[in-house]
Amino acid sequence: MSGVNYLPLVVFGMILIVTLGITYWASKRTATATDFWAAGRGISGPQNGLAIAGDYMSAASFLGIAGLIYLFGFDGFLYSVGFLVAWLTVLFLLAERMRNAGKFTIADVLSFRLNERPARVAAALGTLTVAAFYLIAQMVGAGVLIQALIGIPFALSVVITGAAMLVYVIFGGMLATTWVQIVKAVLLMIGALTMSLFVLARVGFNPIQLFDQAAAAHPEGQGYLAPGLRFSNPIDVFSLGIALVLGTAGLPHILIRFFTVPDARAARRSVMWAVSLIGSFYIMTTFIGFGARAFLGVEGEKAAGKGGNLAAPNLAQFLGGGEGTTGGDIFLAVIAAIAFATILAVVAGLVISASGAVAHDVWTNVIRRGQGDPEREEPTVGRIAAAGIGAIAIAIAVLGGEGLNVSYMVGLAFAVAASANFPALVMALSWRNFTTTGAVLGVLLGTVSSVGLILIGPEGPLGEEGALSPLTQPAIISVPLGFLGCWLGSFFGRDYVAERNFDELFVRSQTGLGAEVAIEQPQRGRAAAAATTTQT
Amino acid sequence: MAQSPPASAGQDGHAGDDHHPEIDWIAAADSPEFKQLIAKRRAFVLPATIFFFVWYFGFILLAGYAPGFMGTSLIGGFTLGYALALTQFLMTFVLGAMYLKRADRDFDPLSRRAAETALEAGRRKAAGGSSSASGDGRGETGSRGVTA
Repeated sequence: MSGVNYLPLVVFGMILIVTLGITYWASKRTATATDFWAAGRGISGPQNGLAIAGDYMSAASFLGIAGLIYLFGFDGFLYSVGFLVAWLTVLFLLAERMRNAGKFTIADVLSFRLNERPARVAAALGTLTVAAFYLIAQMVGAGVLIQALIGIPFALSVVITGAAMLVYVIFGGMLATTWVQIVKAVLLMIGALTMSLFVLARVGFNPIQLFDQAAAAHPEGQGYLAPGLRFSNPIDVFSLGIALVLGTAGLPHILIRFFTVPDARAARRSVMWAVSLIGSFYIMTTFIGFGARAFLGVEGEKAAGKGGNLAAPNLAQFLGGGEGTTGGDIFLAVIAAIAFATILAVVAGLVISASGAVAHDVWTNVIRRGQGDPEREEPTVGRIAAAGIGAIAIAIAVLGGEGLNVSYMVGLAFAVAASANFPALVMALSWRNFTTTGAVLGVLLGTVSSVGLILIGPEGPLGEEGALSPLTQPAIISVPLGFLGCWLGSFFGRDYVAERNFDELFVRSQTGLGAEVAIEQPQRGRAAAAATTTQT
Repeated sequence: MAQSPPASAGQDGHAGDDHHPEIDWIAAADSPEFKQLIAKRRAFVLPATIFFFVWYFGFILLAGYAPGFMGTSLIGGFTLGYALALTQFLMTFVLGAMYLKRADRDFDPLSRRAAETALEAGRRKAAGGSSSASGDGRGETGSRGVTA
């Protein structure tokens, strides 16, 4: 460990101390299942908007998109557009209805009107598949980042990230996760804004000049400002667009955030807060990506690494005064630490959503069939599940190593979310004749087809030569297949219970009548105070 | 873990059965207030969704099939593609803000009234002597909702 870089290490340490402090505070306010999974439903709309932004803007968004824009210009920006427009799908179709209809997991919405055990198992499968791909991608990203920027070896970096994530979730539950995400969102916005201002200052605050300079620094010239540098197949572009715009509305770690607010009004407000933050962030990543292109040029490509992931930190070093200067070192350390915080907040959200699928869906409602006292029991089972999931993710990330392609795995996660989770949720909330068989078939067909198509595609293990499918992006086929599964399965037979309960789910999701209530604040304060005094 | 049960445990408690048989859901779904809520919401969400799908996927198709066209310069390096991408950002903000305004002004009041009607129908049903709590309200629908 001779190459350890101490300045970023100190900034990383400060972020760890702050977030662990938050976790300690949150642990005293986390007793029941509603606390553990949904932060007592006491998060306000603006707070949840920040937390959603913190949950959503992963390492793939910050480092990945800045890097893609640096390398491919316009095609990198296509991701940003899709990631933002996707929020209209969430707002119009799911945000409020999830809040009204659900409790702790997306399976709650399916099992409300369908045969509980198969519906929960299917939904848990969808959740765990998405969370697994996304989680491993983020962990590998963290390892690569810390290794490159601080000099701590890859495996140890992954273990440190995993340990921090598990401490947040196990001790602080959703409340700690939420505030870690809020802190991260604020840090990320400040970091991106500072970098954008530094970049713009160098071009006299004239964005057009930045565009021109960036294009001049790319071998393709004006082609850098037009589509086509990354994607050669137009069908892939269209297919990616589908996965991004529908996939966000099927990401379990995003959807469960709507269970943390008191009502539907706060749920929709939180979406607009998130949209404002995410939208301005993606505008700023363009400045960062173009800045990297204009100032680091072709010579910077090697240092930016595979996928251009290190373009943003390298640009920060340049803007601060260059390698070896104090300003450069400080700016690099701060941006690297923000990237680290970014990953921590996302992996914590992923672990809590995955452990919800294991503890709340599989354990409480499938194995124990709702016996016992879930409000007391679930936090404990959830903690054990989180530890197990975290350990597995750390192991896979360490064994898979740096060779795992991060953006490939995030692509998988979005494809499964769009093809398996999204169709089943939309059908359950709006189609009276939807049945349990339909849900199971839809989730299975969506998962298998999206994962299968990626595996046999040009970026899969068969390689470009042996690929059986020309598509790198499966959504154009797998999303229709997910809906087809829902429809076909429902065609096999009528589900009278599901039809009868549809009225209840429909009215409840649209009006909030009968929805889970927030733990009232004053009462909660007293109860929590009493609990801590008696417990200590 | 030895803690006196918080006051919320009873109401917020058990998973497994989160249903509310005391409410007459079929009458609620049939009530004019609820139908109006659904109609109003659909009148906004359906056209808005169609619009954003067409606008977004039109953009994506142009990016895939007409890169040259998207690379047309508007002002220096600022290309038509970037201008269209910015309209996507604008669209997301505007449609989102419009939805929030509609929801506060139109959907929420209707939603509250629909909920009150449903609760009242449920109380009537209970007062009418039906004690079947299984939620099978088909035979005993509140007299108000069915006529709507």
